[in-house]
Amino acid sequence: MIERPDPASPPPPPPLAPPIGRVVATEQKPATPHQFHFWTANETSIGIGAIVRVEEPGNGKGETGKVVYGVVTDGFAYSDLATPLHDVVGAEGDPAKAAERPTVRQEIRLWTAAVLRQTPEEPLQPVPLGQVHVATDVDVAQALRMDAYLGGAQPTAIPVGLYTSGGLEAPVYVDADFLLGPEAAHLNISGVSGLATKTSAVEFLLSSIFQHFPPHKGRVAAVCFNVKGPDLCFLDRPGTLDDEDRRRYQRLGVAPEPFQQVRYFAPFKADGVNLNTLRTHPDLVGDVEPLVWGLREVLDYAEVLLNRDDIDAKADAFIDFLADRVVDKEFEDGFGGVHRVVTFADLERLFRSIFDGLELAGRGGGDSWRTHHIATMRKVRNRLANISTRCKGLVTDDGPSNDLPWGRFTDRTVYVVDVANVDPLGQDLVFARVVSQLRERLERRDLGVEAVVVFVDELNKYAPADGPETYVKKMLLDISERGRYLGLVLFGAEQFRSQVHRRVVGNAGTVVFGRMDADELATPGYQVLSPATKIKLATLPIGELMVRHPHFTQPIFVRFPRPAVLRGRDGVERYPPTADLPFEDAVARQLVKLDRRVRPNQVKDVIADRREEDVRRALAHTRQTRPHDALAHFKKQLGGRVAAAPAAARESVPPLNAISDEPY
Amino acid sequence: MTVPGSWVEAVVAAGAVPASHIPEASLGRGDVDEFIGADPVEGGELRVEPLSDARPLAPAAVCFLDGIEQWRVVGYGGITPIVRAHAAAAIRRRGPERRLRTVAEATAEVAITRLDRLPAGVRRALEGAGVRVLEFPAEEAGQPARALAAVRVEVQRTRTALERRLGEAWLRALAAEEWLVVDGVLSDSAALSEHPRALGVVKSHGAQYFEGAELERALTLADGHRTGVFRPKARGARRDIYSWYVRLWPWEGNDLLYGLLRLEARAHPETIALASPIAAWIRAERAPVATPDRRWDRLLYPIHDVETYLRARAPRDLTPLPASRLPRTAS
Ligand SMILES: Nc1ncnc2c1ncn2[C@@H]1O[C@H](COP(=O)(O)OP(=O)(O)OP(=O)(O)O)[C@@H](O)[C@H]1O
Ligand SMILES: [Mg+2]
Repeated sequence: MIERPDPASPPPPPPLAPPIGRVVATEQKPATPHQFHFWTANETSIGIGAIVRVEEPGNGKGETGKVVYGVVTDGFAYSDLATPLHDVVGAEGDPAKAAERPTVRQEIRLWTAAVLRQTPEEPLQPVPLGQVHVATDVDVAQALRMDAYLGGAQPTAIPVGLYTSGGLEAPVYVDADFLLGPEAAHLNISGVSGLATKTSAVEFLLSSIFQHFPPHKGRVAAVCFNVKGPDLCFLDRPGTLDDEDRRRYQRLGVAPEPFQQVRYFAPFKADGVNLNTLRTHPDLVGDVEPLVWGLREVLDYAEVLLNRDDIDAKADAFIDFLADRVVDKEFEDGFGGVHRVVTFADLERLFRSIFDGLELAGRGGGDSWRTHHIATMRKVRNRLANISTRCKGLVTDDGPSNDLPWGRFTDRTVYVVDVANVDPLGQDLVFARVVSQLRERLERRDLGVEAVVVFVDELNKYAPADGPETYVKKMLLDISERGRYLGLVLFGAEQFRSQVHRRVVGNAGTVVFGRMDADELATPGYQVLSPATKIKLATLPIGELMVRHPHFTQPIFVRFPRPAVLRGRDGVERYPPTADLPFEDAVARQLVKLDRRVRPNQVKDVIADRREEDVRRALAHTRQTRPHDALAHFKKQLGGRVAAAPAAARESVPPLNAISDEPY
Repeated sequence: MTVPGSWVEAVVAAGAVPASHIPEASLGRGDVDEFIGADPVEGGELRVEPLSDARPLAPAAVCFLDGIEQWRVVGYGGITPIVRAHAAAAIRRRGPERRLRTVAEATAEVAITRLDRLPAGVRRALEGAGVRVLEFPAEEAGQPARALAAVRVEVQRTRTALERRLGEAWLRALAAEEWLVVDGVLSDSAALSEHPRALGVVKSHGAQYFEGAELERALTLADGHRTGVFRPKARGARRDIYSWYVRLWPWEGNDLLYGLLRLEARAHPETIALASPIAAWIRAERAPVATPDRRWDRLLYPIHDVETYLRARAPRDLTPLPASRLPRTAS
């Protein structure tokens, strides 16, 4: 961990610089407790977003006056020209002549600043008409109230970027208690594609969090859903940084290193053996773990599948019945058959015997079975069949599942769940299960870490402002509203904030903007920003962000370095994904991965003429058991029927509240 | 040095009746219409020259000198006014970057009254207050209105003296390529009226130098023209000087004096050679226009700028407020 510059002994303040401006107030433009105006020389380093310090002249009795910090929100230039017509008259209507005039008119640079902080804070009074200075490092810390969490016995400061203005550069920190709970939590970042550097900013911030998460707050991990191509596939690989990036890292006290511990999870492709990710280069694919769920895992979150099409309570009841009474149990179907349902195939057999039984009994036997209507049962069967075909590589019929290490999460580890190529239904299922598991485990305090940042890119897809109330949306809303008490923190990114559910973005304590789209800025959500700030946002250079944070009275512009990890785009160039392997090669490769002594040809001989399902099942079992002799184990599994996994107690998922506009 | 205005309190404490009155600007205007007469020095009669072919003089740097005066009746001893007056003058220099910067300035704070008309206590207080006291002539003291007219003359005198001193001092520092442009006449000062690069720009035309056809030629001068150079007849303390008229804007549709300036430079053959280049230069100074000043048709922007600068720095309690503040009715 890197030492943050000690705020208790800041670098000696530079010799008192001359003022760069003066507060002016007129009846038309008075100074108020929240806003003031000042003028500067025409040539000045001041610009929109600059932080300034106003000093009230002392009262001459040795007492110093008020000090006010402000951030520049608007600028005006004008000359003493009474009306534009006079300029025309003076130039006799010829613009070329206007440039020749012997004297340049008096002009003014007048700035509007919003108050960040006044010291003393009480009594709150209009800004004094004093001298204006550019802010120093120490001033920036004061202005943003960072002194409250930068020092003290248990500092909670997390570097977020560098405030830069007119040659001055000061690190800006956010407060971990307000970024990651419990006081406030969540971060939302928006801005146009490519220029806003949303994904990059989150990557940088995560590494800053990992390096600066205060020890007294315990352990922290991140779960990142990779939803776009190779975006998050190379977080453990170093990226290219230039000197300026390295300087910024140094100034922020963050080590420019990729993440030390990253675990990748990706479902299989439909063949059940090739991983559905772009991290398939032979050098890297070894540490991608398959994400494979069976009937049990799916059934726990079947609500996800149902809500989409608004299936009624009857279907819920039937699903509960299946989960509680049927799966993993000896079950008598009432028509003389006894079932032990472990896989989708088993379930399908049960359905068939029920429907057959009902049909035989038909003509008088009625159209319901154990109070469940046949139509409800058909619906549920269709949904489940649907998920198992649409998400073949995620949902398996062939043996044990493989999931994130629930209960064994480790400190400062990133868990990347690659769902970039998964069917939307499957993505929803993954979100729902992963996030619900995190929520439950954090609630029970047995996840392995005390806080988890969940990064969801393209948040507008999962929590859209309009559209139906999906399970995933309700879940994201639930985290937004209650996650901070649990240490479950949502970092969401999207191009257009206005397209994300109001309460999901509204609950984000920290809000970050990159380069913004002008049409988006014209929507009502941005009315509080001055026109000048909007222009700045619409033209923000790459690597610069505007940050809102509970401690900052006004949004602040900061610059951050490129993330020290390999960009997705560069990653796939340096580590080109391998083409899908033929079935037997893929199986061989996986066994070799488990046991270096395994020879691919041996594997191919063993699996020749065997059914693919059986091979997959044996492979999954071998993977889960991690036996000393992988090939022997595999052969043995292939020989006989794989025993069903022991029945796990059904984990209850606390019900989610319906989406409403009430915050609680 | 006294804190400006503090002597007023002393005088009031000594028994002067406090007052607050700024006399109307029109009161007792100095320039009375008078005929002076002049001798053309460029040809035998007053000529008219177009400036279209003249190459405007383009000095590397120009210094502009102007002054302001402000005054207020602050008390009465009996019916004798006690006036507080502030005069200020400044020189702002325009270099190649075409912006004006102050290079010299001076202010004067005076009390104007008639000491022998004041109650003894008030007089003592005033004499002991550390402020320079000027007196108007005894014969004007009997009538307050005449007294105020006389005060005004004193105030103006104070200002022109300040301007003259500042200008004369600055001339000694004037660089070789630099000109000094003065708002008003040069001929009050020997040093100014002899200097090769001092120029007086006069915008009030109380004094007339011509009659008949020559006067008509001067006053109906077309836009972009100048008159020939002439030498005003000597009068009083005024020094020998050369002068000529130039028109900045077409007067037709306005008034005879609209856009009409009279220039003054040293009485020297060189001045005749420079008359057109100087006139063309000054005409080029009509932009930027000096609005919102009402005299913008002949007020050069840099002079306006010096005035604005001085007004911005004048004591607040002497600047007339834009809106009326009751009570204030005397005039
Ligand atoms: N601090 C930085 N300084 C300079 N360039 C940067 C910085 N951060 C990111 N970039 C560059 O900006 C580009 C876009 O970044 P990124 O992919 O994070 O944007 P995005 O907003 O997430 O885009 P999209 O909406 O398409 O996902 C990348 O090529 C990256 O290298
Ligand atoms: Mg992105």
